[in-house]
Amino acid sequence: MNGVPLLSAEGLTKHFSVGGMFGRKELHAVDGVDLEIGEREIVALVGESGSGKSTVARLLARLYMPTSGEIRFRGRALVSFRSRRDTLDYRGHVQVVFQDPYSSLNPVYPASHGVFRSLKLHQSGLTRNRRRETVERILGAVGLYPASELIRKFPYELSGGQRQRFGFAQALASRPQLILADEPVSMLDVSIRIGVLNLMSQLREREGVSFLYITHDIASARYVADRMLVMYAAHVVETGPVEAILANPKHPYTQLLLSAVPDPLAPVEVEGGAAAGEPPRVINPAPGCRFRWRCPLATDECAQVTPRLRPIGPGRMVACHVAEPDATDG
Amino acid sequence: MAVAPVLEVRDLTVDYGGESPLVAVDRVSLDVGPGEFLGVVGESACGKSTLMFAIAQLLMPPAEITGGSVRFKGHDLVHMKERQLRHLRWHDYSVVMQSAMNALNPVLTVAEQMRDAMKAHRRVPRKEIEARSTEMLRLVGIDPVHLHSYPHQLSGGMRQRAMIAMALLFTPDLIIMDEPTSALDVVAQRSLMVQIKELQSMLGFAVVFVTHDMSLVARFSDRIAIMYAAQLVEVGATGDVFAAPEHPYTEGLLKAFPSIYGPRRELTGIPGSPPDLRRPPAGCRFRPRCPYARNAEPELARLQEIVSPELLPIGDRLVACHRVQMLERAG
Repeated sequence: MNGVPLLSAEGLTKHFSVGGMFGRKELHAVDGVDLEIGEREIVALVGESGSGKSTVARLLARLYMPTSGEIRFRGRALVSFRSRRDTLDYRGHVQVVFQDPYSSLNPVYPASHGVFRSLKLHQSGLTRNRRRETVERILGAVGLYPASELIRKFPYELSGGQRQRFGFAQALASRPQLILADEPVSMLDVSIRIGVLNLMSQLREREGVSFLYITHDIASARYVADRMLVMYAAHVVETGPVEAILANPKHPYTQLLLSAVPDPLAPVEVEGGAAAGEPPRVINPAPGCRFRWRCPLATDECAQVTPRLRPIGPGRMVACHVAEPDATDG
Repeated sequence: MAVAPVLEVRDLTVDYGGESPLVAVDRVSLDVGPGEFLGVVGESACGKSTLMFAIAQLLMPPAEITGGSVRFKGHDLVHMKERQLRHLRWHDYSVVMQSAMNALNPVLTVAEQMRDAMKAHRRVPRKEIEARSTEMLRLVGIDPVHLHSYPHQLSGGMRQRAMIAMALLFTPDLIIMDEPTSALDVVAQRSLMVQIKELQSMLGFAVVFVTHDMSLVARFSDRIAIMYAAQLVEVGATGDVFAAPEHPYTEGLLKAFPSIYGPRRELTGIPGSPPDLRRPPAGCRFRPRCPYARNAEPELARLQEIVSPELLPIGDRLVACHRVQMLERAG
């Protein structure tokens, strides 16, 4: 990537204190995550529940403060933001769309309320009429038409897909450069999911928005994203261009994940995998690879040294002691 | 089918009465053969869970069976008394619910819940209860030390496995599974599916497996039934349906899933959203979303608007679509 990325994070870490008075423990939700999101780029963050992917989104949105590590927006560190103006600007530039469109809209206001609110806050110079026009334009941009009618609807009058489109409209209202989309389609019916995924691609094209698309569904990540980060137990274990990872996953966890995706086009062999185990909760972790208990390739080194991300191909990194670069595409 | 089916459902209709009455299951017919794995696929609120509850006679008011029959191994379940049903339930057919988190009692150990289930349905000596509980847990790949664990001490995948172990206690002929994997991660989901298949080939029970995820049953089911807006729209052998879907809704569903295999291609999904079952559209319920209905010929269009299509045989398949049936008649 040339120049300064839109958003970057280095060594991003978030620990939560858990347990009672006597057994204070540290839950490691996110450990030393590095990531970069470029202009007009869609990056997918893929992982199972509990892997820390939503915490990453919340850290980037400044809903949580990191335990350590740094986030930079256009090269400027967020910790240097002092004024309310700076923070408000950042919130305008980086917006969030949440998973559940049934609980993220306020039921007592029309669904467009959040869009109006955002405009009042981030573009306070608009007249009443201009604001209404802008709201209608935004609703059109997210595929909510007729906008003049939907502007009056309450959440209970809308379908799940329409509600999630309102979530995107609300995010778009501040003219963001980046939208953090946290599982935006997992609560929607399969027949309307694709529409919302296509909406993300359209918004990138027409409005120039970048996305961090957080999901457990690797197939949908492939559908919309350019690059992918795979998380396991608070660590990023593999990153790279989506197609390169799918064609040739390097980390044993990525391999396991890909082999488990239900897909009518999957190769016929139904290999075992019945006793594949489950991801650990990372509480007061000892050093060593967090995947080693489930890993068919684990060595002594894996039990002692935590693997760090290292380059393994063009644009690709993997955190594994055992994975090897390809002789062919090295 | 040469062998008599285990389960025969004919024109089953379920109404939710009350202030805004709706028909959640509309004249559904299906057969399940011995040892067969039938996938029932549909989106949320299409009536697929209600259908399962109706088959198992577990409906709660205001839901009520208002028509049709359910025959299980020759018994008419709809008109059976609770007392008689109790002998069949769990012993001859059992149900695995969607969320093990809610279906297991949080204050009882796994062993206690298994004992309750067995005692409620049969007189079983204590020794045998213990032996069978241990055996079933082992079968689903859980260490029997967990007999004395509480549900919260088990992971999501193990809880779902414990549910399946409970359903297997009397090795029934039919197990109804209502989205048993929907709360699980892909890896756990996959291993549970593989396990269900293994148990099935070992013990020979039939499975009716309800899911919203068509690709999940692609590899695991023998036949598949697609449900839309309270009605079945297509039933056929799984491989055939995936290879060449007949009903436009099935076709749309298959085009709605991105894949990790093959070239990356633009997908369209299905425009619009499923109808409100309180006010279903007249005629074919899929018509407002159907890509073929837009430029249908006048004769066909009239049919689509007025008449609800019947589920009729097209080759080896059952399809409820006027256009497909018309093409078939035309040869």
